Amino acid sequence: MIKAHVNRLDDESLSALLDGEQQLADAKIAEQDVATFGRYALIGDAMRAQKDHSDIHIDISKRVALALESEPVYADFSQSKAQSAPQSDTINDNKVVVFNWRKPVAQLAIAASVAMFAIVGVNMLPQGDGAQQSEIPLLQTTPFTGIASPVSYSSEPALKNAENGLRELQQQRIGALVLEHQRQARVAHSLEAAQTDAKKTEEKN
Amino acid sequence: MKVITFILSLAISFNTFASDTNPAKDLLLKMANAVHTRNFDASFVVVKGKTMEPYRWVHAKQGDIEIEHLSLLNGAGLEMVRVDNQVTYFEPQSEPYSLTTDSIAGPIPEVLFKNVERLSNHYDFVLGGKGRISGRAAQLVRIESKDEDKYNYWIWLDMESSLLLKAAYVNHQGEALEQLQLTHISVTEQPASMLLEILNRNFPTPLPNNSLETLSSNTAKTWKIDWLPAGFELLKSDRHKLDLNNELTDYYLFSDGFVEVSVFIQRPLPGKRLSGSLTSGATTVYVHNGGNFDVSVVGNIPSLAAKKIAESVIRAL
Repeated sequence: MIKAHVNRLDDESLSALLDGEQQLADAKIAEQDVATFGRYALIGDAMRAQKDHSDIHIDISKRVALALESEPVYADFSQSKAQSAPQSDTINDNKVVVFNWRKPVAQLAIAASVAMFAIVGVNMLPQGDGAQQSEIPLLQTTPFTGIASPVSYSSEPALKNAENGLRELQQQRIGALVLEHQRQARVAHSLEAAQTDAKKTEEKN
Repeated sequence: MKVITFILSLAISFNTFASDTNPAKDLLLKMANAVHTRNFDASFVVVKGKTMEPYRWVHAKQGDIEIEHLSLLNGAGLEMVRVDNQVTYFEPQSEPYSLTTDSIAGPIPEVLFKNVERLSNHYDFVLGGKGRISGRAAQLVRIESKDEDKYNYWIWLDMESSLLLKAAYVNHQGEALEQLQLTHISVTEQPASMLLEILNRNFPTPLPNNSLETLSSNTAKTWKIDWLPAGFELLKSDRHKLDLNNELTDYYLFSDGFVEVSVFIQRPLPGKRLSGSLTSGATTVYVHNGGNFDVSVVGNIPSLAAKKIAESVIRAL
């Protein structure tokens, strides 16, 4: 509280100084944060600019450049391992950019694939007439198109709340498993080829 | 007498020859050949229950080089590019990566683009009826599992070009669980210019194939999976973290050449856990509460088979 109060007082004097209402004192300027000084100068410029339109100078180029530098790059393979290795410019020019992912959409897709397997309950009752099907408890899933409306947590009893949390954990896990299975299945055939090759060479030896 | 034995032996040899050539298998081989040699541009949808995924599939053969591009058109999408023996996957939210393999692992089982002969031990190939699919004359070929632990796969082929027009995973009650249907296909003389452009691009170098080393890792000794449907063989096993939730898992990948099955063994989740199966199209996820550990089985197999696999997992001591 006190510090804030002091700061405001200091700012007042600085403001007065910039508006020419107070004498310039070197020590005073040194005390002030350079950034604050610049900001007040800009405010003053802006207020006076109503008479004379020409003298506002805001330099944002530095910040734009900084922002651009930290902007994430998508589908740029040269960034990971390739970048550490020296690479000629001509190779870099050939980056695959046709496939340009946008992150927000990507997040949506992950969420959707998980939601596809979201469990809303367990049905232990026999399903249909198939004798073998009835032996298996079927976890009920939410349909992809009509995702169940969110439950208001505040009105739920604590026990049910905890149960929901657990269910969410399991849902998350299942989503992760399905994604992992898809990825691993892609490797399967190259692995299989490698294994049959290995077997063949073993037989030959 | 000699003449009779000659005729008899001729008849026998002809018979064995006849049983060797299976018209259904021949058609599948023709299809695999067509898919690898033609220039075509096709669109298809995959229907799994209430969900529907549209894809575009373009293939070209330029000299000796094959170029193939498969992309999922909805949502954030997914793109797969094949240049000869290198397939690159572009997935949302992760770095693209390449694999050394000669077919794309998309919604169509990869083995169909290769030699289906290796499936003969566990699947029968049966010629079905003729019909009209995607506006063209089509011949049905049924790939029937010899036991109830695997799904059947029915595939409709274009009688003119031998290309695939429709395919479905069918359970043993005869219900289609997941269907793939071409909506459009054009076969051209010249390869699509869009594919030729791909040839000028650089793709990530394929991941090293260190599968055979991981087979001898400790994980294989930690758990014993007592039951698997006939024909399934271990392709890899390791311990790694899942991408989405960073959970550690002991992982096993099995394949019978047609479908893949993943077995995950994980630290149990706290509290009362639900055991049961989930399905989306032909994909089954069976979650089993094994007491001190959780077993999950994921793959295109009937839920009863998945349940049997999950329950057969024991700690090997």
